[in-house]
Amino acid sequence: MRYLIIAFALLVISCKNEKSQKAETPEQKEKVNEVNVYTHRHYESDQKLFALFEKETGIKVNVVNASADELIQKMTAEGEQSPADVLITVDAGRLVRAKQKGLLQGVESQMLEINIPEHLRDKDNHWFSLTKRARVIVYAKDRVKPEALSTYENLTEDAWKKKVLIRSSNNIYNQSLLASMIAHKGEEEATKWAKGIVDNMARTPKGNDRDQVKAVVAGEADVAIVNTYYIGKLLNSKNPEEVTAGEGVGIFFPNQSERGAHINVSGAGIAKYAPNKENGIKFIEFLSSPAAQKVFADSNYEYPVNASVPASDLLQSWGTFKEDVLPLSALGENNKKAVLIFDTVGWK
Amino acid sequence: MKKDTSYSLLYKIKRFKRDINQWSIATLAIVFIIAFPVITIFLKLFSGPGETWDHIVATLLPEYTKTSIALIIGCSVFTLIFGVSTAWIVSRYDFPGRKMLEWLLILPLAIPSYITAYAYVGVFDYGGTLELLMESVNITLPKIDIMNTYGLIFVLSFSLYPYVYVSARAVFLHQAGNLIEASKLLGAGELKTFFKVVFPLARPAIIGGLILVLMEVLNDYGAAKYYGVSTFTVGIFRSWFSLEEPDTAVYLSAILIVIIFGLIVLERFQRRKKKYHNASKSNRPLCRKNSKGVQKIGLICWVGIPVFIGFLIPVAQLLYWAVLTYTDVFSVAFFYTALQSLGIAILSAVITVIIALKLIYFTRWNKIKQINLVAKMSTLGYAIPGAVIAVGVMIPTLFIDKWLYRVLREAFSWEVGLLINGTIIGLIYAYAVRFLAVAYSPIEGSVSKVGEGISESSMMLGAGRWRTFFSIDIPLIKKGMWSAVLLVFVDIMKELPLTLILKPYGVTTLAVKAYEYASDEMIAEAALPSLCVILTGILPVIFLNRLITK
Repeated sequence: MRYLIIAFALLVISCKNEKSQKAETPEQKEKVNEVNVYTHRHYESDQKLFALFEKETGIKVNVVNASADELIQKMTAEGEQSPADVLITVDAGRLVRAKQKGLLQGVESQMLEINIPEHLRDKDNHWFSLTKRARVIVYAKDRVKPEALSTYENLTEDAWKKKVLIRSSNNIYNQSLLASMIAHKGEEEATKWAKGIVDNMARTPKGNDRDQVKAVVAGEADVAIVNTYYIGKLLNSKNPEEVTAGEGVGIFFPNQSERGAHINVSGAGIAKYAPNKENGIKFIEFLSSPAAQKVFADSNYEYPVNASVPASDLLQSWGTFKEDVLPLSALGENNKKAVLIFDTVGWK
Repeated sequence: MKKDTSYSLLYKIKRFKRDINQWSIATLAIVFIIAFPVITIFLKLFSGPGETWDHIVATLLPEYTKTSIALIIGCSVFTLIFGVSTAWIVSRYDFPGRKMLEWLLILPLAIPSYITAYAYVGVFDYGGTLELLMESVNITLPKIDIMNTYGLIFVLSFSLYPYVYVSARAVFLHQAGNLIEASKLLGAGELKTFFKVVFPLARPAIIGGLILVLMEVLNDYGAAKYYGVSTFTVGIFRSWFSLEEPDTAVYLSAILIVIIFGLIVLERFQRRKKKYHNASKSNRPLCRKNSKGVQKIGLICWVGIPVFIGFLIPVAQLLYWAVLTYTDVFSVAFFYTALQSLGIAILSAVITVIIALKLIYFTRWNKIKQINLVAKMSTLGYAIPGAVIAVGVMIPTLFIDKWLYRVLREAFSWEVGLLINGTIIGLIYAYAVRFLAVAYSPIEGSVSKVGEGISESSMMLGAGRWRTFFSIDIPLIKKGMWSAVLLVFVDIMKELPLTLILKPYGVTTLAVKAYEYASDEMIAEAALPSLCVILTGILPVIFLNRLITK
């Protein structure tokens, strides 16, 4: 029994510790001066930015990492007691979903409105984009002439039979790409496109974007649909084989004569019940500032959203391109339809 | 007739009232707390599946079922072949390097299977290690594609066979000695002895290990997702998060639970009422035979296969990646993460084992035998994917948190935040729910091996329950207890989905760190944290091995 009591006492003590950290009156909470960030992004560059923000403002950044879907579930479950101030995702669709579920709130910030173009933020200011990446076609430089490429739709032609690679439909970037097609052309056309891609796939989807590029370079297929920043990562990899893979492909921005290449964003919004709302706004403002945007652009090969910041040299070397200016909220609104279509056409 | 039933009902109630004691109540309380997340998920079943259920049944369910069955069969075959044969060889034969191989064979357990999966892509990839090695000797191999169901079976089998190996070897070493001698004396040959005497004796332990393997297989998320294999768990994540239908996910988990439950029932059925503890007093350890010549080389090679595939090759690949990337990954924060990981895993493992011990002994001390069955229920958590457990924990504890929040605010005007969710308490609770089964089996094994005789004698001589427990039972089952602590510890070090969802602020485990890199397609960068997970897993594994062989 003695041991039971000791064990129980230990448990109580450990609870106590938690309590003493958590039991704060609102005034004390202010004094802590922190911002709680739920984020899907976990790059070293982000860590750098958070540290920079802490240094500049004295506001402590607490981070919870998980996938956006899991974070949204967590915030839903926590409800009003949620400690989250800021939600960061790597996809606009998820931000829209968070808004639809009433997890975010609109904020007034002139700085954000100046820094971030209109089509890259929510119309009610529930969320703001922080970085862009384009979902492009890459092709094997030695076998494919870029002139043969034109649009995403073109890849469903017979000429590309068994020559196309793209990752699983579990992947959010694919879901958003299909969602954009639903928004532009309707469900029927989108289904036809997805079916066409499945027919032209060189293999069943597997691996990540980098794996698709490697397989193209190895000759398993001629083209792949991937995000731009992964090419940047390959080219700057420590692994010489990855650099070779990155060098073996050319980048083609599709649909340039019409709606433009599909883009997706990382973005952030203020949580509905944010206990440190002001700090949260400061935090997002900081991330949209030229200094922070430059870090995003240079170390993670993403396109800055702040027009005053140039893309990194590497990205500039790929040329400028016309981007799809579809309001990003469409990606969230059509996400579920996209997932269902993928299942129906057998896109694994 | 009517009178009879009412009499017997009355009698039953009376008997129940007589038999109920503090242990029954304590057992039920523990079971209730542990089974609560599972019950939550179960109750959700009655609210019906989400609206896409029909769609999933039509388009995806056949695929999920097919791949899951393929994985169950494939992994059973491979883990049994390699687990049992190697256990037998190292217990029965002596050959150079045996002592080292004995513990090397357990080491794959230290590597999370999704890490092994990533490492093998690095080996077989375009421009991968194998290709480079072959190029250097001018051989061109056809491309081996590992990212499919077969590859997944391969990877999972070689990272999970130690569960079978460990359970089989414990029996071979400690229980088989006399019987083998007897069998030999009666003129049976080596093979006949193995199949007629040794294997049936070890069967419950082997099947027990196999069930652990299959649970891990069905729970795997990282490897299956990366290899593009649609399993139930991948489906659960997908319907939960992509389709936003927790209810559909719960339905899928329910099917998974039914499969696992079926496996458990199957195991109970084949064990039936047989008691497997060896009653003979002089339980002589097995004498090893010397092997010679060709046989020696053959044995070494065979035992070496799983060690190479399950441990050395993936570790070599990771080391290569770590050398490429350590300058980017290594930092003071990294040290801190490692320490946090260790602390959480040790604390949770100890708590889980204490709960398992109590459950086992309380059920023994109470008189209502039906409670034993109920107690088994609380080990079901292991069959449920980590992410589902996380949400099963979150729903009820949030309810409690919110209630506490209200009460404390009204009564003392304390503004406390969430006390369980997003704190270490919630995380440890979830670990205990998930890994109780892992702690339960080895302890139950040693408890049943000890039998009840000794503690009954102790109580007859006047020692109380607790005194008997601490001075008689605990020393006797120490080995089982230590194995339990270590197994849970290693599992927690590797655990991912649950940790991702429930971990508090500022807490990062090495597994999470590795996953973050990998999910950002920086698999080479994931190597260093992975190696640390492996390293912290190796030390206890060696220790575990000492315990078994001692």
